[in-house]
Amino acid sequence: MKIFSLSKGLVLLWYPFIFGFYLFCTPTLARNTLQFSSVQQQQQIRVTGIVTDGVVPLSGVIISIKNQRNTVVTDFDGKYNITVSFSDILIFTYIGYKTIEIPVARHLTINVQMQEDATALQEVKINAGYYSVKESQRTGSISKISSKDIEKQPVTNVLAAMQGRMAGVSITQNTGVSGGNFDIQIRGQNSLRSNGNRPLYIIDGVPYSSDSGGSDLTGIVLQGSTSPLNSINPGDIEGIEVLKDADATAIYGSRGANGVVLITTKKGKAGKTQFTANVSGGLAKVTRLMDLMNTEHYLQMRRQAFVNDGIAYGPTDYDVNGTWDQNRYTNWQKVLIGGTSEINDVQASLSGGSSGTQFLLNGNFHKETTVFPGDYNYRKGNLLANMNHESENKKFQVNFSMGYTAQQNNQPGMDITQQGILLAPNAPALYDQKGNLNWENSTWNNPISSLEGEYISRTNDLFANGLLSYKITPGLITKTSFGFTDTRFNDSRTQPSTIYDPAYEVGSEFSSIYVNNTTRKSWIIEPQLSWSKKIGKGKAEILIGSTFQQQNATQLVQEANGFSSNSLIYNLSSAFNVFDLVHSESVYRYQAFFGRVNFSWNERYILNFTGRRDGSSRFGPGRQFATFGAIGTAWLFSNEKFIKENFDFLSFGKFRASYGTTGNDQIGDYQFLNTYEATGNNYGGVIGLEPIRLFNPNFGWEINKKLELAIETGFFKDRIFITVGWYSNRSSNQLVGIPLPATTGFNSIQANLEATVENRGIELTLRTVNFQRQSFNWTSNFNLTIARNKLLSFPDLEGSTYQNQFVIGEPLNIKKVYHYTGINAQTGVYQFEDYNADGLITAVEDKQVIRDLNPKYFGGLQNTITYKKWQLDFLFQFVKQLNYSGSYGTGLPGTMTNQPVTVTDHWQNPGDIASHQKYSTGVNSQAVDAFYKYYASDAMITDASYVRLKNLSLSYTISEQVLKGVKCRLVFQGQNLFTFTSFKGADPESRFTTALPPLKVFTTGLQFTF
Amino acid sequence: MEKKSIFLFIQERVIEISFNNFLVVLLISGMILTQGCDNFVEVDLPSSQLTQSGVFEDKATANAAMVSIYAKMRDSGILSGNLSGLSNQMGNYSDELVYYGDISGTTRDFYNNAILPSNTEVFNSWSSSYNQIYAANAIIEAVSASSALGLKDKNQLTAEALFVRSLLHFYLLNLYGDIPYITTTEYQKNRAAKKMPCAELYSYIIKDLELAVTLLPEEYVSSDRIRPNKSVAMALLARAYLYNRQWAEAANAASYLLNNTQTYTWQTNLSDMFLKESTTTIWQFKPRVDGQNTQEGETFIFTAGPPSLVALSTNLINAFEPGDQRKEYWIAKVTTGTDTWYHANKYKQRSNTSGSLEYSIVFRLAEQYLIRSEARAEQGDLAGAKEDLDKIRHTAGLAGTTALSQSQMLKAILQERRVEFFTEYGHRFFDLKRANHLDESLSPLKTGWDTTDKLLPLPESELILNPNLKPQNPGY
Repeated sequence: MKIFSLSKGLVLLWYPFIFGFYLFCTPTLARNTLQFSSVQQQQQIRVTGIVTDGVVPLSGVIISIKNQRNTVVTDFDGKYNITVSFSDILIFTYIGYKTIEIPVARHLTINVQMQEDATALQEVKINAGYYSVKESQRTGSISKISSKDIEKQPVTNVLAAMQGRMAGVSITQNTGVSGGNFDIQIRGQNSLRSNGNRPLYIIDGVPYSSDSGGSDLTGIVLQGSTSPLNSINPGDIEGIEVLKDADATAIYGSRGANGVVLITTKKGKAGKTQFTANVSGGLAKVTRLMDLMNTEHYLQMRRQAFVNDGIAYGPTDYDVNGTWDQNRYTNWQKVLIGGTSEINDVQASLSGGSSGTQFLLNGNFHKETTVFPGDYNYRKGNLLANMNHESENKKFQVNFSMGYTAQQNNQPGMDITQQGILLAPNAPALYDQKGNLNWENSTWNNPISSLEGEYISRTNDLFANGLLSYKITPGLITKTSFGFTDTRFNDSRTQPSTIYDPAYEVGSEFSSIYVNNTTRKSWIIEPQLSWSKKIGKGKAEILIGSTFQQQNATQLVQEANGFSSNSLIYNLSSAFNVFDLVHSESVYRYQAFFGRVNFSWNERYILNFTGRRDGSSRFGPGRQFATFGAIGTAWLFSNEKFIKENFDFLSFGKFRASYGTTGNDQIGDYQFLNTYEATGNNYGGVIGLEPIRLFNPNFGWEINKKLELAIETGFFKDRIFITVGWYSNRSSNQLVGIPLPATTGFNSIQANLEATVENRGIELTLRTVNFQRQSFNWTSNFNLTIARNKLLSFPDLEGSTYQNQFVIGEPLNIKKVYHYTGINAQTGVYQFEDYNADGLITAVEDKQVIRDLNPKYFGGLQNTITYKKWQLDFLFQFVKQLNYSGSYGTGLPGTMTNQPVTVTDHWQNPGDIASHQKYSTGVNSQAVDAFYKYYASDAMITDASYVRLKNLSLSYTISEQVLKGVKCRLVFQGQNLFTFTSFKGADPESRFTTALPPLKVFTTGLQFTF
Repeated sequence: MEKKSIFLFIQERVIEISFNNFLVVLLISGMILTQGCDNFVEVDLPSSQLTQSGVFEDKATANAAMVSIYAKMRDSGILSGNLSGLSNQMGNYSDELVYYGDISGTTRDFYNNAILPSNTEVFNSWSSSYNQIYAANAIIEAVSASSALGLKDKNQLTAEALFVRSLLHFYLLNLYGDIPYITTTEYQKNRAAKKMPCAELYSYIIKDLELAVTLLPEEYVSSDRIRPNKSVAMALLARAYLYNRQWAEAANAASYLLNNTQTYTWQTNLSDMFLKESTTTIWQFKPRVDGQNTQEGETFIFTAGPPSLVALSTNLINAFEPGDQRKEYWIAKVTTGTDTWYHANKYKQRSNTSGSLEYSIVFRLAEQYLIRSEARAEQGDLAGAKEDLDKIRHTAGLAGTTALSQSQMLKAILQERRVEFFTEYGHRFFDLKRANHLDESLSPLKTGWDTTDKLLPLPESELILNPNLKPQNPGY
């Protein structure tokens, strides 16, 4: 039943592509080698050679003769021939590589090995979505990572690969369980809605839904949701651009408020047909475990609690009343989450083509097991095919890419991390002598029993996009892009009766399963027209286009229970009851017109206007359309004459500034309608209909105004390159579910609130080329973001339902908490500041301390060192932040739950000074009350800053001579290797004590190319 | 238009191109075609939803909106038979049940008398009730605005919704004390709703019920007594009068049902009392699917010790007089080794059967006897009180009451209610509270019991969201 048929499917899928490309590629040969007459000059000779990057031939390298106009270009085998005279000097230039000059001097063959130039990045074209722009000429704020950074990381989700590498982009992993989700915030939280802060993902021009498609009822082990970006294989990605400021995002209008993540997949490259395979395997374990009490400390605590409460051990106090062995000790964290996950990964890629037609086929298979005891794993296979063609007259172009991903995630039904923390250290053995689950005479819930429940998810994604473009005149290009996505997500969680103690005699009639089926199909068409013209020293570019997009989504969540046998649990037709809990379908339609006008003068002054008029079906009649726009400017002052003359150490200098508006429509579909929905709930033969919300037909867009100023400077031929940006974004017209008291029948209503949220920050990136020699290169990249989030205004906050959640002038992500003042030396319980001095500690009046849970600053430091055939990369990620302490969630010290070892420091006798209050079994209501207030006090919010060796990659290239034409590389990679922190919990990144901490991963791999 | 001329220009050029005309035409026509969609961003309602006005233009869908409330009451909130229901929570809070369940369960706080305003069950009971009240109010408003429904259907639906509204407010009032009485769906009003004193709440409850009684038909509109008729509203009215110390009205209302022996025939076989066909049932919830039985059965029954959730307290077991047949028929004993536990066995089915055998009974005829008995005793009619009380006692196999004075009679009725209604919708707790016996009965059992514990705290978040609900109930 669980046989994974992916490999079969993959093979089938390959055939049409291979055949198709076979047809496409055979007749075409290189035609782009320009040849020049060889009889014009005396002593002319013909020089030939091959240009490589040391590994593969480079096609498109421009070879010119110094002080002459003649140029040739290398063909797809890297070969060239050129006619020169002996005294000539050849100049080899290629974007991203160092220019090389070689005198001919009677050599008839000149083979050249180009070297990458870390300082030539200013020439790289940056993808800005609807257009691309040279790095040096861009007016907007765009961060980029390329496949080179991604390939070094043993991760399955591209968001993990972005962590710590981009200024202004904060990414947090929610759980260490495979397939789990990430939180991403680009320049802070703009919306008061916690789920209204997701960026827009665009993959090859096609928007990709940021909704996970999961259900709270099934994906418990993943903290509720899977990451939609799991469907993209990081190995397929050529580059990721993150658009941040108004200049870059306004062209995405209503969806650009939270930034845009542009993902570009790999494309076929002209040149020799090349096969690359990458095989790797590795191990992973959780980063950190909590320091918990051992049996001795724990039992001391328990006994003391009974003494303090003045009561005797009850019949159910098995840990202390003699029922359980009091000398037993188990480190439950080690037993339950201390396992080792095994990782296997194979990537294969075939690419090649002529100058007119190129193709690429990428295949990947990945498997990883879990750290939980038991046989769980996550498997993913995917295929990417790409074809590009350009007509002979170079006027017509067609690009087509298609990706297919299949994932199967098989995990326990629930995360047992918390059980590993809470279980009494002298709890009984997991298995009896016969190897069966031990229930110790029904005195405990064996944690392994929760693993009887299974979580299985299957995701199939089809993703296709095409671009047709036609060059009408050299400056006028019309193009239309098409995209289609089809996602089928299906997951289930079982609760078979075997999770219960057999003594309770519950049979399969108590077994249940939750099943969620989500499908999502979307298409998009974007016709565009672009025009560019050079006018003297100036250049103008104009782009207009429109978007039509539709997404149809369905979701069916079912619960079934009462099975005749547990082995039939996946067969809903054998269930006694089947309930449809959610059965929804939705249509989202989106229409827009957008444009861009760009002027540049003399490569010095650049002006960029972008705008978009958007309509969305998520709003009621009359509220569907809105217009957004931005202006961006740049001044390349290093191109000014007086700078060039007086400051020759300054190799690059640019000021840029932008201002504009974007919007946010992440509120879900149909929210403006007053509707009843079928509940699927039967009463006396009638299926119920119920009102689903309080309705408000009048809400509209959220508006986000962004301002940015930045300076980019390069020194000493860009060997030191610094970018400093300052931004200030304001979000208003906040679209929120305004919390309502339950007396209204619901918890919230959707409305625009005249509140303004400001995000300000400084982003610094620094790139230095520390060494640049033939055999030794060392470059460093550093990024730092210092951000501050602030609620600027909120009309009538005092009287509103948010009064206890927000404070004007403070960040959104704050906690208003009691101020902990220490332990009452006489009574031994926690005490708090009574701000209004009424003798009572009450929630509203006395929660006066504000703690900001946003990171104060974060960033990363990456180093790349190459020495001969060795390459070493490492990235340190750092975050300065506060968070809930690790002991949040361990319960009242003295009850039957284990505690952090720090809790041993506790109050015992009047006059004691201790960090924790007196132990209690839970019957001392004064202690219980103080304890819950302690949870809601500043004592629980501690420093959770950390520095982490996020990534380490070491590779060695085996020379081609050894393996005869096969280039081979040995790679060691590690992720989350070391964490330096004073945080007392498990891992400072995971915010839930119920979630598995992130994993540290070690892999070794072999990569070969021929 | 500027754009149009560009397109023409492009098309002219296209003709000259020999290369793959088809694709280019496709591209251009794509551009032109998509200019024409004016109402592109207007979408139809999904097939799974109906607009409110649409629902109440049709009898069948209007009925579906009504029964959805009963389904909700049955499945979640205070009237359900699961953990969150009053039968379990208030059974733990009073002296009926002993809690054996999960250490982190919120029910444990009820059992330990350690309820805080932040307790999630305190909030859930509150919010699920007001959500059901909203649905009832929505029906009352939409029915009166509907032009398509006939008068008979309008009356039926309105009266059922009024009944639901008063029933939920009745329980909220007895759990939380002074609360708002919500009669509209307008959130602008309800978000700032003000608390009312208990006396005023009772006047609203009684007013709603009196109207419901006049509008509801005598007959049940469906089989199995699963939707309220006049008698159901009357049964609640009798209880409301009793709680509000309107003795004569309480006795009269109870008599209305007790005199209708045609429909509500007393039966003496205790083991049949909780079957779905019982003729002493006034109103019951039909399970979701035929074959399912009650949630009470799932919650209370266990077959091996120690219990996984709750067991009956020895206090309750000892409260039965010798020879009381209810102890035999309605309670079951579980012995593991030397330990013995008891569980409620009124509902005997713990899981599905082929065809449902038991429904959750909300109103039983026995209560009407004891209501009238108490009302008569309070009015000094001790002979009448004894007659009604003995009806119950004889059925349980006990001799007639020996109570002679009024206070003895009231005490005997309180005792009788305890052994008759144990683990049913918190009767025990409410009875102790009405009789001012809470402190006396619970102080010896619950650590830190205080007179103020007669009320649950108002949910902490509600006080924050609606300051008009302040102050918090005393003692929290």
